Amino acid sequence: MSRPSKTRLTKLNAIILTLAVLTATAALAGESSPNSNSNSNDQSSAGPAKEKAEAACLTCHEARIIVQQRLSKPAWTKEVDKMMKWGAEVDPKDRDALIDYFSANFGPDQPACAAPRTATQSTTQTKGKK
Amino acid sequence: MTSRRDFLKTASAAALAAGAAHPLLSWAAEDFVPIPGKDGLIVRSSRFLDLETPVEFMTSWITPVNHFFVRNHMFEPAKLGAKAWQLSITGEVASPLTFTLADLEKLSVHSVVNTMECAGNGRSLQNPKVPGIQWGKGAVGNARFSGPSLKTLLEKAGVKDSAKHVQFRGVDQVPGKVPPFIRSIPIDKAMDADTLVATKMNGAPLTAHHGFPARAVTPGWAGAASCKWLAEITVLDKPAEGNFMSPGYRLPNASVKPGEAVNPEDTHSVTGLTVKSLIAAPSDGAKLRPHAYLIQGVAWAGEADITKVEISTDAGGIWNEAKLGRDQAKYAWRLWNYNWKPAKNGDYVIFSRATDSQGRVQPEAPVWNPSGYLYNAYDQVKVHVQA
Repeated sequence: MSRPSKTRLTKLNAIILTLAVLTATAALAGESSPNSNSNSNDQSSAGPAKEKAEAACLTCHEARIIVQQRLSKPAWTKEVDKMMKWGAEVDPKDRDALIDYFSANFGPDQPACAAPRTATQSTTQTKGKK
Repeated sequence: MTSRRDFLKTASAAALAAGAAHPLLSWAAEDFVPIPGKDGLIVRSSRFLDLETPVEFMTSWITPVNHFFVRNHMFEPAKLGAKAWQLSITGEVASPLTFTLADLEKLSVHSVVNTMECAGNGRSLQNPKVPGIQWGKGAVGNARFSGPSLKTLLEKAGVKDSAKHVQFRGVDQVPGKVPPFIRSIPIDKAMDADTLVATKMNGAPLTAHHGFPARAVTPGWAGAASCKWLAEITVLDKPAEGNFMSPGYRLPNASVKPGEAVNPEDTHSVTGLTVKSLIAAPSDGAKLRPHAYLIQGVAWAGEADITKVEISTDAGGIWNEAKLGRDQAKYAWRLWNYNWKPAKNGDYVIFSRATDSQGRVQPEAPVWNPSGYLYNAYDQVKVHVQA
């Protein structure tokens, strides 16, 4: 059996890479739960509520503070009302949709949310070399 | 040469990483977040900064600053210069005073090794879940804090007989209409010589994340009593008011059923820490060889002393006493270790349970409260022993 030439191998690798990317992207797009994979946070079905949540919440703090919560709807209601009192810019007519969005995506039954680490000096150096 | 299998593995990982860049709520899902001065900590939030120490780091008596947890409620103050910084003392005092950093450095220095723990440490282990930073086990560390006693400053200002509480305010930057982080401690604790206006941590000037240029250190109490970036001390004739005194940092007076609502009138302020131990090694889920193994950890009890740490390697059936470490100080945790020889291969559940000089014992089940404060149930790890 003859070995493939270097050019053929490169083309083959390119095809494999494309397939791998497509497969992985498709898998992510199919995710319905935000945290079923520790690195997957896709929520393409969230629509306008997601955009409104981003606009209202992320001025003051990062989203990780939200996505780590696992709260019931009554608890999310208290949080949204507290944050509106504390200056989160939410159109009152969007309040209920936001509560529904948080309750649906960050409720008690969702698996725990993975957290990253701060880079150590060694990881910083490795990244710097790239 | 890279095998096709290795190549596919690498390509898939790259694709997953690329996919993760399309975020829910625009949050970054990167593996490592660069935070200068903080190495390998768990990022609960990078804005505001909330970093947790992994329990496996807890094998040294003094926690190095680069491994010490960070709890911020707000934005850290921008460009707080040592020369411009001032600390005022007002309220129920004979002569209101202002101190510069140079003034503080002229006063006699007192050092306290203090185990500082966030009131919400362990919140993620509560069931049902409660809102707040979802700390795992590691919002705790032990450091040597140095600076003048708060008492020295208060005595210079002359505390009036009407004084009941001493309020701290830092200069962290408050977003939106969020209430500022203002809390107070009772006058007796404020006048204890071990309560500090600390300017140093482990012998070096405080870093920005830990409250440069000065912070309160209220030893043995939940971290919220140790205000960072301290700028205003106000002596009051009653406890401070505001969100972080009530409803914040309050515990039910009587035990409540998990999930039960509590009337605000039936609560009290969080003060001293409770009795607690953590297992630093082995890690949860570890696979061990069937040889002698040193189980290690830490135990602390706020203003009380640890008298005993017990270990069970059969999920609470038989308990054996661990050996306490040599290093000790009034408010500091004790290291402990227990030499374990697993009898046979298999799965083991290891528990640790501390007892203190007030007779308090870590409970088997968590004591639930609506904010998830002071979680202190037995610590546990599960390991598998296999030849």
